[in-house]
Amino acid sequence: MMKSADKKRKKESKKCEFEFCKVCNLNHDHGNRHKYFPNHTKSLSTFLHRFQTKLSDIRFFLRNPTILRPELASRNRFWCVVCDAEVDEIGSSFACANAINHLASADHAKKLKHFLWKYGGGMDHADNFRFSEADLAKWEKKCHSLNDGSSSCSDRTNGLQIGPSNDIQNELSYKSINDFENNNLGPLTPKFLNNVLPLQYNTHKYQISQSGHPATAADGRIVCGAHITASGNACSASDRWNSNNITGWQNSQHCIPHTDAVGTSNFGNGGGKHMAIGGSNLHGLASIAQVSVMAPGLAEGNVHTGAPPPWLEMTVEHHPEDTSVPLSSKKGKSKLNPKRVGAAWAEKRKAELEMEKRGEIVNSDCGPNWLPNFGRVWQSGSRKESLKEFESEKPELPKVEVDPEMPITLRPYVSKRMVDVILSVEVNCVRLSMEKTVMGPDGMWQPNGMEKECISGMPKIEVCSLPGMLQQLVWGGYSTLWIQVALDLAYLLGVILQKQSVAP
Amino acid sequence: MSYLLPNLTKKKQVDSIIRDTIDKVLVLRFGRASDALCLQLDDILSKSAREVSKFATVAVVDIDSEDVQVYVKYFDITLVPSSVFFFNAHHMKMDSGTADHTKWVGAFHTKQDFIDVVEESGWMGTFVGKPGR
Repeated sequence: MMKSADKKRKKESKKCEFEFCKVCNLNHDHGNRHKYFPNHTKSLSTFLHRFQTKLSDIRFFLRNPTILRPELASRNRFWCVVCDAEVDEIGSSFACANAINHLASADHAKKLKHFLWKYGGGMDHADNFRFSEADLAKWEKKCHSLNDGSSSCSDRTNGLQIGPSNDIQNELSYKSINDFENNNLGPLTPKFLNNVLPLQYNTHKYQISQSGHPATAADGRIVCGAHITASGNACSASDRWNSNNITGWQNSQHCIPHTDAVGTSNFGNGGGKHMAIGGSNLHGLASIAQVSVMAPGLAEGNVHTGAPPPWLEMTVEHHPEDTSVPLSSKKGKSKLNPKRVGAAWAEKRKAELEMEKRGEIVNSDCGPNWLPNFGRVWQSGSRKESLKEFESEKPELPKVEVDPEMPITLRPYVSKRMVDVILSVEVNCVRLSMEKTVMGPDGMWQPNGMEKECISGMPKIEVCSLPGMLQQLVWGGYSTLWIQVALDLAYLLGVILQKQSVAP
Repeated sequence: MSYLLPNLTKKKQVDSIIRDTIDKVLVLRFGRASDALCLQLDDILSKSAREVSKFATVAVVDIDSEDVQVYVKYFDITLVPSSVFFFNAHHMKMDSGTADHTKWVGAFHTKQDFIDVVEESGWMGTFVGKPGR
């Protein structure tokens, strides 16, 4: 009992132990369960996303090492959320060098695993938040080559006079650059919408030029420059911005901000290489280091040479496709649901209408008495049945209406008992009459000398046919027709008898 | 208002409109121009006719016309106005809240009500393939 109580207390105490979740930025006592909570997973995704963006900036410099100016090194810091450590660039000669080294280190990898275990996120995503040794080796190689290149470049740039001797222009641009420098542009990695940079320099005709500039290196190194070239259709400015993520790093130690320094697009030379040279030494506004190396075959003219714009070519190509698309869509639309109501009738009628348009005679079954299929109020069965019903009812109505003068004979209802009674009366009457009458020479029954005896209800009538009929009825096996006839006769006899009784 | 809609007075006209309206809902209003409720319905119909013209045709039938009496009897028109719906010459049934599912008796409150009913009929006829609920 005591042990279970102790256990319970321990469990309760465990529950009470609060710990801080740096992902959610709150204290909790959920223990290990906390990482499975939906709020935590949401917070974790945003947390890692932010870290990922920072890493992508550093990854850019991993792929494209750039030389870091000492005066700007102090401004560059990187906070590693995994290790909870700040990495600064003091003493590094290349952009993000220390950060790259940190992210490639074994210590960071170990802490990253621990972080992912503690806070969730999936151990398979660990590679996204660190740099591999291979990447580090490549970067170091590039840095070495950059070092060698920059030393030679610095010699060359010192000897050349780039641009006109318009000091006013240069001074102005220098001023503006310096102003930019002095401005504290805030975050380390400013993001520009759609990768569009603000205008950094005064526009100058030399900025857009095709003259071959000897300062460009064949291997695409950044020399110096102050602007971006118009590169034609090979590689648009937006592509360049996209490929070179804008950060606040300096590209060259020896970069002289000349507005008229030209970065060539060597189309004229047929080299196919072109590069944008961004010589910005502005903090927060980066320069574009190197663009892309084009294949020579693609460099077939540009806006300056008067080549047709690519979007027109694209539209021409697409036009035939476009024309075909609406046709097909129209055809598709005209193909209505074959199972729709009256589909067969509709198709048939369309064909008939087309024939009529052409002037052909159509044998239609639409007479003056045509009616659509209609379901009646208390409908059961198909609509055609209701049409048939109506048509069957139609002939009856006109018959009644056409002969209104026909005498309508109203007959009272005569029950079967009455029929039997009347029949027995008739039989007796006939018997009596037969006794009283004899067949005369003319074939007519004549009273048998008992004219004076007045038998009530026994008139002198021709009853030659009556006995035979009654015999039929009496013998049985009579049909309804005979019964009807007998009833009629009985009725007539009754009427006559009544009259006789009434008459004085 | 019925002058804005085709006014049918002969059986032949009714036949032809029913037969020639293909893949569209046909609404035939049976009534008379002198009736107040018919006028109200005609107002709604004439205003909505254009909006539904892509998938419906609306016409009015004069119930007092001699030639049309066969249709009056056939559709059992006893109350005015009554609207009968067709799709590809097939009569479309609908539940108007009364026991009679063969027609719509009375007027509509708003244009949208009428448009909704016509859309429902068209949808049932075209996509569901059933001439009524």
